[in-house]
Amino acid sequence: MKKVISYIALIVLGFCFLLPFLIMILGSFKDVQYAQLDPLFWIPDHPTMKNYLYIMRDGIFVRWIFNSVIITVIPVASQMIFCAVLGYIFAKKQFPGREIVFWIFMAVIMIPQQLLIIPKFIMFSDFGWINTYWALIIPELWGIMGVFLVRQFLQNIPNDLEEAAYIDGANDIQIFFKVILPLSIPVVATVGTFSFISNWNDLFQPLIYLTQEKMFPVTLGLASMLGKEGNFGIEMAGSTVSFIPTFLIFLFFQRYFTEGIQMSGLK
Amino acid sequence: MSKAVTSKKSKLPLGERVKREWNRNAIVYIFLIPVLVHFIIFQIYPFALSFYLTFMDWKVIGDPEFVGLKHWKYFLTDTLAWKAIWNTVKFSVYYIVPTMALGLLLALIINSGVKSAGFFKGIFFLPVVTSFVIIAGIWGWLFRGTEAGMINYLLSFVGIEPQLFLSDSSQALAVLAGLSIFKVAGSTMIYYFAGLQSIDRQLYEAARIDGASSFKIFWTITFPLLKPIHFFVAITTTIGSFQIFDSAYLLTGGGPNYATTTIVYYLYEQGFTSLNLSYAAVLSYVLFFIILVISLIQRKYLGQESNNY
Repeated sequence: MKKVISYIALIVLGFCFLLPFLIMILGSFKDVQYAQLDPLFWIPDHPTMKNYLYIMRDGIFVRWIFNSVIITVIPVASQMIFCAVLGYIFAKKQFPGREIVFWIFMAVIMIPQQLLIIPKFIMFSDFGWINTYWALIIPELWGIMGVFLVRQFLQNIPNDLEEAAYIDGANDIQIFFKVILPLSIPVVATVGTFSFISNWNDLFQPLIYLTQEKMFPVTLGLASMLGKEGNFGIEMAGSTVSFIPTFLIFLFFQRYFTEGIQMSGLK
Repeated sequence: MSKAVTSKKSKLPLGERVKREWNRNAIVYIFLIPVLVHFIIFQIYPFALSFYLTFMDWKVIGDPEFVGLKHWKYFLTDTLAWKAIWNTVKFSVYYIVPTMALGLLLALIINSGVKSAGFFKGIFFLPVVTSFVIIAGIWGWLFRGTEAGMINYLLSFVGIEPQLFLSDSSQALAVLAGLSIFKVAGSTMIYYFAGLQSIDRQLYEAARIDGASSFKIFWTITFPLLKPIHFFVAITTTIGSFQIFDSAYLLTGGGPNYATTTIVYYLYEQGFTSLNLSYAAVLSYVLFFIILVISLIQRKYLGQESNNY
């Protein structure tokens, strides 16, 4: 009996959670003006690829996707490298000022990004970074959160392996690549997936640093389409295309996500 | 680590000592120095600059002018700023408890030994990784304030008049909260699921032998034992709710009649539409103080690293 209730709840809630995504995907195959929408319109009677052809032919949308790739892939790669090495340094190496530096990092994590965005806007105006990729790439090259996750992970790993390698005459860089990095792959993957999602989905920073349409990432591009196009199908096609990379990352790295969420006491 | 290699009393020449230190810690210096420089430029300096800004009149052209506490004083009497804070508090009320309750419910279902739990866990988690822009686009359609809106269509079956939703100042904030609940419940579920997994099964067995009902087991065992999770999730969702911006920007533009002007939305509007960067900096410090207080409560109760259940 309890099982039956669980299954009913599971199916009902599962459907509710999937419904918006169904609406998005089904709606993208329908050619309909906002004015003609009816409540059940998202069940398409004449599926059409028109909307996809429209956004793909419209060079600007492809450009937005390209922009998103640029401002996501570079930070993701950089975060994985820097967070892996720094996590190792803070977990395993002794050096003057280690504790105080880490403590400052952990204090700074509490500063909301909305506070930093105002002075950064002024700084980037001076740097000439407004409407460039730099404003969205350079500040994101490493992250305190990622360092924290890797450090947490490595602190639970005994030192025997490194010490054995050390006695064999390996230096830090060799130890890092041969011993630490292979062990850290899961947590580094977690850092990468988090970084991907936060950069790909970011709206606030692009909104502040970018004014030219051709520089928009897909989030901001879609936001500028919402309501402007007047065609729900086109909006949903755009949403579906921009959702695909997120969905693929999620599909392949779901485990790292959920582990990362459990590991992080923040965000 | 490796005390044998460098001892304080080593009589080696300086060059040799530097070389050994370099061999021992090269990786630290190669990586930490650039990172610290980056950290100072992009975190510490902006934080200080922002504070400095609050005492200045920042003109887009020309030099900034010192005005002391003018912007802080203005904040105290700015009814719109207080309305934004009030709106944000209201949003938290709509958002925090339902998010926790839904997350807990999802975790309980997933944890009840159903088949294909992993698949459903994925479905519930999907909104977490989806951008606000996508969900807002769909949400705006679901909650259209006309008879053609899907929610209004469903309401018509139970005899409720079409609602205005996003165009009604008494409903818009709740609709935005609904969007956030949908988006965040999946991550709350993950925390609760981890908590449920760590509860000792023997407690349940003992309770069953005593003939306790499922309902009673939940309220006397499960719910109280999840206390650290409740607390942690409450803190994180509270911090999240004070930073709400995307949905207000995308769906309502802070309206109707300022009903969805939250702290961050007001900050954005002041800083980047009205170009009062100094006043926006004051507002951002207000947000920071609120988050700081919430975080300090968390640290006080849970200690520095509150992530080992």
